Amino acid sequence: MNTITDAVVIGGGIAGLQVALDLADQGFDVVIVEKEPSIGGKMISLSKVFPTLDCSSCICTPRMAAAAHHERITIMTCSEVQAVQRVGEHFSVTIRTRPRYVIESACIGCRKCEYACPVLVPHEFEGNLGARRAIYVPFTNAMPQVALLDVENCTFCGACARACPTDAIDYLQEPAITEMEAGAVVVASGYALTETQTADRYGGGKLANVLTGLQMERLLAPHGPYGRVLRPSDGRIPDTVAFVQCAGSRDHSLPEGQGVPWCSRVCCMYAIKQAMLLSGSLPLVDITIYYMDIRAFGKGFEQFYQNARAMGINFVKARVARITEGENANPVLRIERIEEDGRVEDQPHDMVVLTPGIVAGWDPSSVIPVQIGSDGFVLSEHASLAPCRTRVPGVFVAGTASGPKDIPDSIVEAGAAAMEAANHLRRTAYASRRRTEAEAGGR
Amino acid sequence: MTETKRRVGVYVCHCGGNISDVIDVQKVVDGVANIEDVVVARREMFMCSDPGQNLIAEDIAAHNLDRVVVAACSPSLHEATFRGTLKRSGLNPYLYEHVNIREQASWCHKDDPEGGTRKATRLVAAGIAKARNLVPLDPVRVPVTRAVAVVGGGIAGLRSAIDLAKSSFEVHVIERAADLGGHLARPGRVYPTDEPAQDLLTGLLAQARSLPGLTLHTETELVASTGYLGNFRLTLQGPSGEPRELTVGSIVLATGFEHYQPSLGELGFGMSDRVVTLPDFIERLDPRGPTGGQIVKDGKPVQRVVFIHCVGSRQLEGVHVPPEGGRLYEHCSRVCCTTALFASIELARKFPQVDIFDVYQDIRTYGRGQEDIYEAAARAGVTFFRVAGDAPPTVEIDASGAITVRLVDLLTFNEPIEMPVDLVVLVTGMIPRDITPLIEMFKLPRSPDGFLQEVHPKLRPVEVCVDGLFIAGACQAPMDVAEAAASASAASAKAACLLGGDVISLDPFVASIQAELCDGCGLCLAECVYVKALTRAEGETVPVVNTALCKGCGMCAAVCPHEAITVRGWEIKQYDAMVDAIVATGGHP
Repeated sequence: MNTITDAVVIGGGIAGLQVALDLADQGFDVVIVEKEPSIGGKMISLSKVFPTLDCSSCICTPRMAAAAHHERITIMTCSEVQAVQRVGEHFSVTIRTRPRYVIESACIGCRKCEYACPVLVPHEFEGNLGARRAIYVPFTNAMPQVALLDVENCTFCGACARACPTDAIDYLQEPAITEMEAGAVVVASGYALTETQTADRYGGGKLANVLTGLQMERLLAPHGPYGRVLRPSDGRIPDTVAFVQCAGSRDHSLPEGQGVPWCSRVCCMYAIKQAMLLSGSLPLVDITIYYMDIRAFGKGFEQFYQNARAMGINFVKARVARITEGENANPVLRIERIEEDGRVEDQPHDMVVLTPGIVAGWDPSSVIPVQIGSDGFVLSEHASLAPCRTRVPGVFVAGTASGPKDIPDSIVEAGAAAMEAANHLRRTAYASRRRTEAEAGGR
Repeated sequence: MTETKRRVGVYVCHCGGNISDVIDVQKVVDGVANIEDVVVARREMFMCSDPGQNLIAEDIAAHNLDRVVVAACSPSLHEATFRGTLKRSGLNPYLYEHVNIREQASWCHKDDPEGGTRKATRLVAAGIAKARNLVPLDPVRVPVTRAVAVVGGGIAGLRSAIDLAKSSFEVHVIERAADLGGHLARPGRVYPTDEPAQDLLTGLLAQARSLPGLTLHTETELVASTGYLGNFRLTLQGPSGEPRELTVGSIVLATGFEHYQPSLGELGFGMSDRVVTLPDFIERLDPRGPTGGQIVKDGKPVQRVVFIHCVGSRQLEGVHVPPEGGRLYEHCSRVCCTTALFASIELARKFPQVDIFDVYQDIRTYGRGQEDIYEAAARAGVTFFRVAGDAPPTVEIDASGAITVRLVDLLTFNEPIEMPVDLVVLVTGMIPRDITPLIEMFKLPRSPDGFLQEVHPKLRPVEVCVDGLFIAGACQAPMDVAEAAASASAASAKAACLLGGDVISLDPFVASIQAELCDGCGLCLAECVYVKALTRAEGETVPVVNTALCKGCGMCAAVCPHEAITVRGWEIKQYDAMVDAIVATGGHP
């Protein structure tokens, strides 16, 4: 592999992909370092996206394919950046690639190993609602379409190796270290969610019919774990569904890991979107959204919200104090209204969706001396004028690595980060110098 | 129709259920598999995904396919994707036909899966018929001028110009006002960095003026544009009065927004000098502002100030009345909640004796650090009242000039509130600026909210449907300073990608003329709507197509009595074949 490039983009979600494409289209070489076995990030697991309601895969897969096929873009999956060292005006980036125990160049993604594997474990991609094998292609439209072996759950029975038509299984694969020289680094490492469902007040993670927003995304996705929306406890179609907004956001009372004091920015809109999709697929379902403020602030969002109200989705301004389990495994919400007469009441629902808080997916300060805010997200050099420049020259940030953000805002910011990185590469003349040296070396 | 044998591959996409939940995709495959020249017909969960594209590539290699048809979503989404697949597989990318069975079948026939399936089958059959008649085409290549015009010299325009000048493009900023900076030039501090807006501007301007290749044209308007992507010829009208010509490869529109101006009497506006808009109030808070930073009533500092949110935003039909000839603004203006709270904190800090009230529907402090501003405002003693969108507050001014605000507060369970106040701050929204001449010049589309419309909010957020034009900042939608800066840099990145090379490739779907069939009747010339796309020199019989200006609309082909002029990729014989196929694929739809 070529171990010199112009820019290293950390994270292959929608922001990282857009950064890479906007740099590569300007003539720079880019390496995307993705820690998961597939690029696509969180977006590829979503059902449809607000406010246009187009299917998430339809937007995300072309970006994934464009990056994968771009002659200037190299994608490293199962890989993490371990260290970034400044060497003069460029960086030396140490990348560790975990073994897949499948030879990437040999695997043809036929899934015969998957069909042969006798082990079943909960599938993380499906929010643990579906199952996968111990050896598996990450998901239907994963890129690359290469299997990986989960050694934690593998019984080493050898069935996969016998089934593989290309002898791609390699139980002895070792982690690989790549030293990459680059002129710029872009942090697009995305977000993670708080474990709000494990808070005692929300049932301590023990209530089968209390789901997170991302789990509901999978249930709504046409190729999701059940193929439709069903209750995990008994497989029944829910008659009433409730969304608990700001469960884990704008909350000073939950401990770290379960809640955050800031607004997570996308939950109002995705709850409204999920409510709309639910009422589309289950016309008789009764939907209630318990909220503090509806933050429909982006282009077309307010109109989207008003459409949801007109569709008959109930919006109740209330705080949910606790969730317990009632009859038939129905979650019961103890709510206090912040409207009408302010009454406190118990409301049973068939299914409840929590919208957890958004936190940084990775702390880059462990490997790059970028500054991190008290919220854990990357700080910009100037929050107004240079939102994508970090305080380290040559290191840029895009997407949710610098705070919760919706898809359109992440994509726009990715374009901006690519512009900043491109101009840095031009100013330091890194790319052109490197090409001149390569040509001179080749002669 | 076709004499030559073709080898067509047909692929029907499930679109993850978007199509296959309604359409029986296997039936569609079976229905077209036996059509002449069809070598393979398959279905797949996501044709656009890598496995889907690889399937096509493998079939091209294994079965020697020379034409490909994919039945999937709208061609605007993925036609280019599959053309790319053909190109990578060594086929001319224009030997591809895209059939839309999502918008045109599954989505519009949800209630009739069988009829939808029959329709999809016919559409695919028609696509195959067209594919069999496709010929290889080469993209139109146009040379590029490495220069960009940025229309508007506010934050977005300046940011974009600086980015592009740093990328060593020649950049011209065209600002119609005498001063640069737009709204940023006014006194007042901005969140989240709590700096005077003018300081931000000073820094930007210094940078802009230091860059070689960046020219700032003030008191200048863009009055005319001809040409096309890569080569726009612009006419500028400057302060001297002499029009000036300029050739650029691309144009960034950064024309900004207007503040909503309440109509006379709307919440007391215009009835008292103590009913002001938020932008005016912020200016007064600034020591550099018109009142030297003092907020007074009868010469004494004010005691009670109320902020009323969503004035000119989130308007509802039947509740709000548009001004005569005007419109309702249904959109949320995004930045005003935080701006108002930020201003109320500053007010409380400077004048601790003031009682501050805040009348809102939803507090939308969505951005990073903004919830802190909301909490700080609450700590600073701001009293919040929540009203329903369909029950806005009223402002009454009596003969003595005393102001009373009335509302029903949802937070205290519908308590009617009546409060005398010294000053009313109307938290006015951001509305689209009237840029009718530009909209007409470039035939720009607008969103239902009146702002400029991007091609797609996620796939192409800073592009408009006119090739070579990009949008930056609040001409697209309300945004704050940081968001406008990011949007501007994103637009710069797209312009830099576009103009990076020496030539640009355009789709070859342009008119072409078979000279031997043309009798010079000239009907086509009268029909062509694009300036200089179709011309005829003095004394010549046959017109000439400018392939860079022709948009392939087909108006010329429609009127030609001899089928001498036709649009490449959309030829009449291709349509004939499609119609024949639709008729032949029996049964009622």
